[in-house]
This record gives sequence, structure tokens and C-alpha cells, in this order.
Amino acid sequence: MPVASRDRTARVAVLGSSVRRSRNDRFPSRGKSTLVRRVVLTTLILVALGLLTISFRSPTSGALHDVQGYGASALRPFQVAAQRVARPFQDVYGYFSGLANAKSENKKLRRELQEWQAIANANVAAARQSPELKRLLHYEEGATYPTGYRPVNTTVISYPSGPFAQQVTIGAGSHSGIHVGTPVVTADGLIGRVTNVFNSTAQVTLLTDANSAVPARDVTHSVAGLIRHGQGSSLILDLVSKQLPVKKGDIVVTQGTVDRRYPDLYPYGIAIGRVQSVGTSDIASYLSIQVTPFAQLDSLDAVAALIPKHPR
Amino acid sequence: MSAFDVVKAAVLLFVAAILQVSVFTQVHVLGGVPDILLVTLVSIALLRGSIVGALGGFFAGLLVDTATLGTLGLTSLVLTIAGYWIGRYGETTGRDRAHAPFTSVAVVTFLYLFGLVIVHFVLGENAPAGPVARGLLPEIGMNLLLTAPVYALVRRLLRPLDRTDYATEVQLLG
Repeated sequence: MPVASRDRTARVAVLGSSVRRSRNDRFPSRGKSTLVRRVVLTTLILVALGLLTISFRSPTSGALHDVQGYGASALRPFQVAAQRVARPFQDVYGYFSGLANAKSENKKLRRELQEWQAIANANVAAARQSPELKRLLHYEEGATYPTGYRPVNTTVISYPSGPFAQQVTIGAGSHSGIHVGTPVVTADGLIGRVTNVFNSTAQVTLLTDANSAVPARDVTHSVAGLIRHGQGSSLILDLVSKQLPVKKGDIVVTQGTVDRRYPDLYPYGIAIGRVQSVGTSDIASYLSIQVTPFAQLDSLDAVAALIPKHPR
Repeated sequence: MSAFDVVKAAVLLFVAAILQVSVFTQVHVLGGVPDILLVTLVSIALLRGSIVGALGGFFAGLLVDTATLGTLGLTSLVLTIAGYWIGRYGETTGRDRAHAPFTSVAVVTFLYLFGLVIVHFVLGENAPAGPVARGLLPEIGMNLLLTAPVYALVRRLLRPLDRTDYATEVQLLG
């Protein structure tokens, strides 16, 4: 039993020693390690709080903002590579998911197609009259969507990182002409606006963010309101009086600039969503209108930032 | 812990952070989102202790905040505390226990999500706890599914320390 005898020898050596240790020297390594551990933890928490304070106070400017921009640019190739690697798996998942819902979706799309066809027929007649009427009225207007805007097509490279984040990062920035406030759309409709911009990346705050508010118009009944976030990924059309007619299925688009002194960030006519339900109550001042966004805000991929061709 | 181990842990966290912000945040199941970064951090902290856990949490949080252009330091703060706490658990009662990774992941997922609620609330931002509570069980479930493969990979890359390496703990003699 060599191990046992070695332990016994060691213990005898300690017990037989006449040297008395002070209380503080009993576990020197333990005390030192505890101190190091606490110092490391405290330092890291203080640094994190310092970064948090600086970043929170000046989110869109300053030295830390620039450093973050360079960091984001450095991470961008890795994010794009990760998305490319994951894309086949996502496609396979999307394929099977689509198959499962194909029958009900086909029925829904056929119904929607009929509705859109009726709207398109009415629009053709109106569009033919429009240039003539504008000429007669000497009608002045700003840049109209989409012809008055140059799209910067890009991709989403990172998604909301937590349950409260409603921001995505896109792979284009100030070098492409994007600035704070630039509207961002998909082929389906508006998704939000740029709230932080770096050289080659930009942060887009989605319509579902708590601080997002977009002046909007129900084009079916010509009713104006304000699009804000609702439950989950839905939106609400707020500030619509109870007397005004809004019906389920109405189309909601951006309102655009009403008063030239207060230009809106969004041009008129970008599709936002469709009215899902309309409710009212005796105590509420406004209608409770729930809107389902056209854009799939939780699975964004290709997006376009809208840059005015002739900025004023 | 050798310098090579530090490099391996950093690379693991870097890859997990990139995958988290670019791929896993798109996976929504019943309101929950799997968090491979948290699972990786828990695995590293269990195997390498509180200091590495805290440093790893800070580094991973900084990567997430940089990649998502979020408020710098916010995720770092929560992950630093999570990494430290799980590291302490690994150094003391959690070591040598087969259920430790699963218990840690379940508890840390809960604390991490509600830690974020508190930090956002303190910052005066909109932080409803309802959606977090509704997505909690699916998120814990998905994280537990990730735990076994991720912990096995991390354990393969970062060999568990010998008992003698835990110099800070009480050892009962013969």
C-alpha cells in the first residue's frame, strides 16, 4: 500500500511538527484563489457596466460606436459564411414545412388572387386618369415610391439577439448611401427603418419595436392612423376614431409626408399589412385595429433600403 | 489551464456566438429560441471553473452585442454572471455529476432570460415578462436537447481537470 503509507507519513510529519501555523496561513492557496476570483468577477462586471453606460448614452456616435462598427465589419464575413452553411438545412426545413401547409395556403392564395385581381382592374383605370388629372391641377408632389427611390439591395446578417430586441443588422451601411432613418422594405412590404449606421453595416429597427410608430393610411377607406407594435408579431393601427369606417381585409400603406415642414421618413404607398380585426369598446377613444404585416418579420432574408434619388 | 485550452475555449465561444446571431435566432418553436451560445458557455464553465466561465461570458456577450449592433455590455453583464455562477457550481457540488450540465442549462436559461428582463427594465426599455414566460419551457427544452451533443464536444476538446487542479476546494483526507 504505497499510497496509504505515503499519506500516513505526510500526516505524521505535519502532526509531529512543533511549528504552530497562524490562522491566516491555514489555507493560503484557497484565500488567494478566492481573492483572484472575486477581483476578476468584479472587474468584468465594472467593465460591462462601463460599456453599457457609454453605449446607452451615445448609441449612434462616439469612439465606442466606431469601434463597434469596425468589430461588426470584422464579424460580417463569419456571419455570412455561417448563413451560407446553414442555408441548405433551412431550405430543407422550409420545403417540408411548406408541404405540410400547401393545401390550405393554396386555397387562401386563390381567394386573395381574386381580390387582388379586382383591385388591379380598378387601379388600371385610375392610373390612366391620374397623369391627366395631375397636369390639369398643376399637382406638386415629392418623390413617390418606388420610382423616386434607389433600392440598396442587401441581406440580413444578424437577427434579434434576445426576447426584447426588435432590431436586425443588414450588410450595407453609410458607404452605400444609407443613413439613420432610411426606410427598409422587402418584396412584401415595409419592415422598419435604419436606427444606427456604420460603414458597411446598419441596424434596422423593426415595426414590431415598442418605440416604432409609422404614420399610415387605410387605402381602402382612406382612413389615417399610426402603426404601432401589437401582441407578438402583429401590429395595431392606432389613433383611428370610432366613427371612421375600417373593415377586416383593408390594406394599410405608409401615409407619407402630409405637411412639407414636417417631412415623413417613409414615402407614401409602401404596403404595410392587412387589417386582421376591428374592435371597439365603450371606454376606448379609438378603434382597436389589429394589422397583420405583409412582410415576414421573423424570417427576414433579402431586404432593400430606400435611398431618395433626389434628396431635398 | 494551458494557453492552448484558452484558445480552444475562445474559438468554441466565437463559433457559438456567430451561429447564435446568424442562424439559431431564426429558429422559433412555440415562442422559444434555442441558445447554443448559452449551452456552450455552461459547458466550458462547468469544465474549467468560475474564472474561465466569467471571462468566457464577458467575451461571448461582447461578440453578440457587437455582431447585432446592440447596446455594448448588456449581454456581457448577464453572461459574465451566468458563467461565473455555473463555474462555481462546477468547482464545488456539480463536478463528477452526470446531471450537472442539464441542471445547469435549465437553471441558467431561466435566470438568463429573466436577467435580461431585469436589465432591460432597469434601463427603462420595454421588457414585458409575459412573452418570455410563455417561451420559457420550449426554450429550456430546446437547450436541453442541445446540451448532450454540445457538452460532449466541449468535453472532448477541453479535457476535464484532475481533482488536484481544483486547489481551491476542501478535500477530505484519508
